Amino acid sequence: MFKPLIVTIIIFVSGCTTVVIDEYRRSDGELTEGDSVVILGRRHSSEYETEPDLIACVGRELHNPEQGVNIIPEKEFVDIMYPWFEPRTAPMHVRSLDRLMENKNVRERMEAYGVKYIVWIDGSTETTASAGSISCTISTGGAGCFGFGTWDKESDYEAAVWDFRDRELSGKLSADAKGTSYMPAIVIPIPLIARVQNNACKGMALQLQQFLVPSGAPNS
Amino acid sequence: MRYRMTLAKSIVNLIVLGLILSACSHTIQVDGNYPAPIGDQLPLTVGFYLSEDFKSFTYKEDSEDREEWSISTGQAQRNLFETVLGSMFTDAVSLSKYPQDLPENIEIVIIPEVRELQFTMPRETRVNIFEVWIKYNMTAFDPNGEQVANWVITAYGKTPTAFLKSQEQALAQAINIALRDAGANLYTGFEKIPELQAFLSGKRRSLSLREFKVKAKKAE
Repeated sequence: MFKPLIVTIIIFVSGCTTVVIDEYRRSDGELTEGDSVVILGRRHSSEYETEPDLIACVGRELHNPEQGVNIIPEKEFVDIMYPWFEPRTAPMHVRSLDRLMENKNVRERMEAYGVKYIVWIDGSTETTASAGSISCTISTGGAGCFGFGTWDKESDYEAAVWDFRDRELSGKLSADAKGTSYMPAIVIPIPLIARVQNNACKGMALQLQQFLVPSGAPNS
Repeated sequence: MRYRMTLAKSIVNLIVLGLILSACSHTIQVDGNYPAPIGDQLPLTVGFYLSEDFKSFTYKEDSEDREEWSISTGQAQRNLFETVLGSMFTDAVSLSKYPQDLPENIEIVIIPEVRELQFTMPRETRVNIFEVWIKYNMTAFDPNGEQVANWVITAYGKTPTAFLKSQEQALAQAINIALRDAGANLYTGFEKIPELQAFLSGKRRSLSLREFKVKAKKAE
């Protein structure tokens, strides 16, 4: 009885987000049974860091063995391939994979894990503007807050899909999301949070799924 | 009675003072486990000596314009160097003493030392990331105690600020990333040090000569 009410409250009580997805496709996904996909975050920039929780979110949304999409978690992959996918050593271009594959141990391990696609996600979510103020007081008579705060967040991510077996760039897609969160406070602060990063994650995962399994089922 | 009151007051004062002091001092105990590198092992029998100072290294930040920090990386860097050095050579022995009791077959002894550790907090750089830099001095000796090579390993780690994550947790995570980077630098950079490159070439030449002699003997 309460479930629809709670869902309705959550919908009305969260801020608004807009997500724009762009895609450039060079070839369609060709996942066959036993193939795996790795989703990795780019961490070479000194000004931002692709958030590990965003990578984990895209992996979680995409992982669907019944549909033939088997995702190797980022942490597990960088550990088994250590130290070749660390920020210092990770290949920056598809053609750098050739040099890495000259290492027999690395090549054999990649093949043992059935890696078909490597998806590199680069970008971050940032607070771009904020305004308003909230003041809280505590006294013997009680405690309370009063005021209004608002902040904007922007997500800007780009994903590059590398075909590991054919050593080529299969395509690129980008996700831009914007949202404004509000926090009115009349005695109690009520946060109306725009889930910008989460929506960018979901939008990107959906697009990647269409990219990797265009027919909806893996080739056998 | 008067004595009791004074004692109680002193205890309260001490507690208040302790709370004030602990509010601006931070302690981190970094303890990580690191994966063994995947790749070819270098054909050397190596001894490595991790000194007590190295295994219990603690960085203390006591500059006037910063809060007090005590960062123990000893255990984590011990785990890292034992794992990486232990698996990057065909034979590796952890030495409990140096230069005494050196096993006979050791060809080279490697000794790491911490030269520098630096970190920055998001409010200092106005970028939403915690950053850590570590520098190690590496020295390689031959069995007679003569220096073969001396080189520096630089390591960098960063982590984004995250909701509900303490400064200590974030900094510990950045240090763990820096230590992984140190391991990657050690593994991939070892053969690039000219003196070590020459040492390894000599070893490889003598190995192939020995192999050739064995084959020639068999052919006779």
